[in-house]
Amino acid sequence: MTILQATAVTKRFGGLVAVKDVDLAIGEGEVVGLIGPNGAGKTTFFNCLTGMETPTAGTVIYRGSPLPRRPDLITKAGVARTFQNIRLFPNMTALENVLVGRHVRTKAGVMSAVGRGPRYHREERESEAKARELLKFVGLTTAGNELAKSLPYGDQRRLEIARALATEPGLLLLDEPTAGMNPKETVAARDLVRAVQGRGISVILIEHDMRFVFGLCDRIAVLVQGEKLLEGTPAEVQSDERVIAAYLGKAPEDAAGSSPKKAAKKAAPRKTVPKPAAAPDSDKDTPA
Amino acid sequence: MNQAAFVRTRLQARFGPAAALIGLVGVLLLVVGCFLPWAGFAGFPGKMLNTAPGGSRLYVLLLALFGVLFRLDWPGRARALRGASTFALVITMLTVLFIAYAGGGLVNLGTGAYVALAGVVLYYLGAQSLPEDDVVAPVRELPDGRWRVLIETLLVVGVAVGALIIFVIGLGLPTASVADGPDHRLGGAISLNDLTNESQFLCFLLFVCGAMLALSRLGLVASVGAMTKKHSRVLVAAALMSAVVFPFTQGGNGYSLRIAASIGVFAAAAVGLNIVVGLAGLLDLGYIAFFGVGAYFAAIFSGSVTSVIDMHLPFGLVILLGAAISGVFGLLLGAPTLRLRGDYLAIVTLGFGEIFRITVNNLDGSAGPSLTNGPNGISNIPDLTLPGGFNFGENHLLFGVDLPFQANYYWLEIILIAVVMTAFLRLAESRIGRAWVAIREDEVAAAATGINTTRLKLLAFVLGATLAGAAGTVNAHVVKVAAPDSFTFMESALLLAAVILGGMGTVPGALLGATVLYLLPEKLRFLQDLRLLVFGIVLVLIMRLRPEGLVPSKRRAREFHEPGGGADALSAPPGHRGTA
Amino acid sequence: MDLFLQQLVNGTVLGATYGLVALGYTMVYGIVQLINFAHGEIFMLGGFGALTTFLALPTGTPTAVLLPMMLLGGVIVSVTVAVLMERFAYRPLRGAPRLAPLITALGVSIALQELVRNFYPEAKSARNFPQLVDPNRQFSLGGDVTINAPSLLTVVVAVVGMVTLSTYVRRSRTGRAMQATAQDPDTARLMGINTDRLIVTAFVLGAALAAVAGVAQGLRFGQVDFRMGFLTGIKAFTAAVLGGIGNISGAVLGGFTLGLVEVMATQYAPEPFAGGAWKDAWAFVVLIIVLVFRPTGLLGERVAARA
Repeated sequence: MTILQATAVTKRFGGLVAVKDVDLAIGEGEVVGLIGPNGAGKTTFFNCLTGMETPTAGTVIYRGSPLPRRPDLITKAGVARTFQNIRLFPNMTALENVLVGRHVRTKAGVMSAVGRGPRYHREERESEAKARELLKFVGLTTAGNELAKSLPYGDQRRLEIARALATEPGLLLLDEPTAGMNPKETVAARDLVRAVQGRGISVILIEHDMRFVFGLCDRIAVLVQGEKLLEGTPAEVQSDERVIAAYLGKAPEDAAGSSPKKAAKKAAPRKTVPKPAAAPDSDKDTPA
Repeated sequence: MNQAAFVRTRLQARFGPAAALIGLVGVLLLVVGCFLPWAGFAGFPGKMLNTAPGGSRLYVLLLALFGVLFRLDWPGRARALRGASTFALVITMLTVLFIAYAGGGLVNLGTGAYVALAGVVLYYLGAQSLPEDDVVAPVRELPDGRWRVLIETLLVVGVAVGALIIFVIGLGLPTASVADGPDHRLGGAISLNDLTNESQFLCFLLFVCGAMLALSRLGLVASVGAMTKKHSRVLVAAALMSAVVFPFTQGGNGYSLRIAASIGVFAAAAVGLNIVVGLAGLLDLGYIAFFGVGAYFAAIFSGSVTSVIDMHLPFGLVILLGAAISGVFGLLLGAPTLRLRGDYLAIVTLGFGEIFRITVNNLDGSAGPSLTNGPNGISNIPDLTLPGGFNFGENHLLFGVDLPFQANYYWLEIILIAVVMTAFLRLAESRIGRAWVAIREDEVAAAATGINTTRLKLLAFVLGATLAGAAGTVNAHVVKVAAPDSFTFMESALLLAAVILGGMGTVPGALLGATVLYLLPEKLRFLQDLRLLVFGIVLVLIMRLRPEGLVPSKRRAREFHEPGGGADALSAPPGHRGTA
Repeated sequence: MDLFLQQLVNGTVLGATYGLVALGYTMVYGIVQLINFAHGEIFMLGGFGALTTFLALPTGTPTAVLLPMMLLGGVIVSVTVAVLMERFAYRPLRGAPRLAPLITALGVSIALQELVRNFYPEAKSARNFPQLVDPNRQFSLGGDVTINAPSLLTVVVAVVGMVTLSTYVRRSRTGRAMQATAQDPDTARLMGINTDRLIVTAFVLGAALAAVAGVAQGLRFGQVDFRMGFLTGIKAFTAAVLGGIGNISGAVLGGFTLGLVEVMATQYAPEPFAGGAWKDAWAFVVLIIVLVFRPTGLLGERVAARA
């Protein structure tokens, strides 16, 4: 059953076409990977799905009805996201960050907050219990009272996921969930995504760590220069020559990626491009 | 700041080993000096002549008591000593200067002045040469035991009572307008008597600052602060009691009650502004206009003879309607402009403030429709009366004390502040308050987390306007006049300064900021014309040295002082945040 | 019709002042996103600097010498204060949360006003400014439409200043670096542009133009006042926003537009809201309307994207 159906999503910035006619369907409980070289338009595509950018053309249907335009309404509808460059509320505690995620599922208004009747207290108690449960779920049991920005990097990523989960999404969009993580943290992140999937939540993730993507995703879509190159199971994608060509630079370089920062990042995924022969041996439980 | 640190390093190198000794000698001299007369002539206020120390001599003596820290190895002692000794030095020098000035030269200084000066300089040098503390003073807790809760409660009550006492002393120190004496003209404007009188207030203020600084550097302020948080109900009850009792301490002095009432209005407005600026992070530079809307509404509909509308609505209704109309103005202004970037919003609110002032100035029947009586404003607003026949304009006998009528308005203010404070505190700790802070921290992330940022910003803005309107209606009755001059940009700036000086996002901060900013010009009239100049410079200095304010919220303190505090991607740890 | 044309002329003269001051706002904002509230005070100080120069020069100095000297004096004072202000008030706050520099600007603005009020001799109310250019000398622009000498001078000086600045910004190395920094500060820094120096340059250029405007204002009204910077400053900022802040041609366009709107509204607004008493109110109404319907200003596009 399809939870999200994006059809012919296009985003133009002036003359530049960042995303071009991308179709993508996500099934209930599915984990879908979105890969592609830097500047391929993955994050822009995410932004189009979550209302950060308005698509120039195309439709996005979530659970049978079109997604609204505003980010907060999209979150309310059930699509939550994290950011490539973690965007927590740095001077709020971890618990408060997650509680902010509860905002969209709670009701108390000004009157009720000032009056503090029994209903207000019940709602606050429930919110806090939910938030603590989510902190535990992502493995941050002890960090509740620490400021978000003082958390170690991997914990910040997890906290961002907890905050997104607090909005009770049906679909979670993760933008590079393992960027900057060490191998141990990456393994933990994989387990976390599986656990999220275990809760019946569908996941789309952008990732450059190929081992991570191929070991985790049910399906993978490859985006190159704004267009979907192909879509298929990890095995199909892995063995496709076009993918390797796209990564190793046979496709023309995009002009924008000339700053040193981007160049440095570009080098990283190249190393992790799997050879066609290297099956994901480390992950015996790969879903086929 | 770096220069100070440099000088300190050199001092430490030179006097390091003997620092404690030098300091102790200084403290001893200082104590002796404090018990000797500082003035060689009678007439200088503040007990400078007798053996028993008073005024500045008492303040310096109390600051000298921190000298025992030279013999104790408490964490934070070096910083505490530096604070205490610096303030002791400043107070001593100021007082000596004032005495010398009043006495016509150094000849008239008492022996004690010389001894104390020598002592305080050594005290200062000793403190500056102490090695830097290894650790920051921790938040202490009382040991568990039978008496713990009782002692904690007493301490918390002590905080409230102490604040009341400081306020009463500060307010009670004579000012130029109260003290009449021989009129030695100084520069043609300020009498010598004023100057020497007001020097006392200045020294008192410096003393309180110095003592608080030293105590906080020892971690005691934070420790007691933790207790107040634990027993917040006790604190609120004690503070409320102190506030209610205050008129009885004034011995029928209507003037000081009036000042206290005015501080109250100012503080209530500051707390309201704190919702807008401190919580939601919206810079409102025209806040006084909303206050003005309430004030004018009350002025027009309260049966004043100078109002063109002859209608006298009951006060309860006036407050509600005034607040509501002010809120509507907030809505009308906020709805289209709140999606603008922060600094554009600041300018829009500033523009609104000016439009309001110009409008009430012009609605006099000649430049525009007749409604506000133009530049003269609406005056002679009648005293409030309650349905039971209670007249706010009359003195009342309560518990055998004849209270001046100003006490009635003072208590009205207390109710107003209590309401505004409750609203602020409860909102801050709720779903709404968290959403505001989230918006302030990162608006994009807040929206992605499901917060309707436009709606919540509007809510903060309208709520702030409503509270300002309510405060305005009350103020119109306290000051009995509403005129355009009271609603200038400078007033908005002052309110904002109160919030910032005290500490954004905290209630005690706004209260303290409002009190200090209101009391300073009232008490320091010798500064007269220089008031605003000092104010401008102080704003710049605060932003430079202590941008989080006197009573910062924990969040703000970190935000301002740690790199990477702001919610912008540029300050993130390198490598962790790529290009978006 | 003549009345309308006359108001057109009056609006242009008013707009010239706004435009000159607005350039300072726009340049600084373009580079550091700081609303330099105290820029209006720099304008005021220009007037007082010129007055001081006048008082210092011996009586009987010919106007041809006096006027350039006064202009120079005004510029020197304004530029000096602006540089000091940047160095000691704003620079230490770079990287601080946004509110901090704005509040500092507020403090600097108040302090400068009060310094002049308290310490400039007899400046507690408006001080007479030498009327070197005879205000009674009228030039006819056809029909009954006239412009008096100081106003004409204001417009001429403003146009010269604006053209010089825009040539400088478009042609010189520093000017191009400024444009680059305004568009993308990070990349500009990576390209080796010294942002610190650029910021100082922006402050200096803005202060010089503001000083010119201040002197022109003094000549036109025959007086300078410590309060004259506040309103002009806010309105010039309005003009900068109106034109699209960060955009140099925008500031000029915005200045003239605002001047015209103000004059026309005073003349043609529906009774009872016409007349000089409502002049400033209209300026702010325009500001709010512009920000609501076109927050990027008439010529601006870039800023909205970087919000």
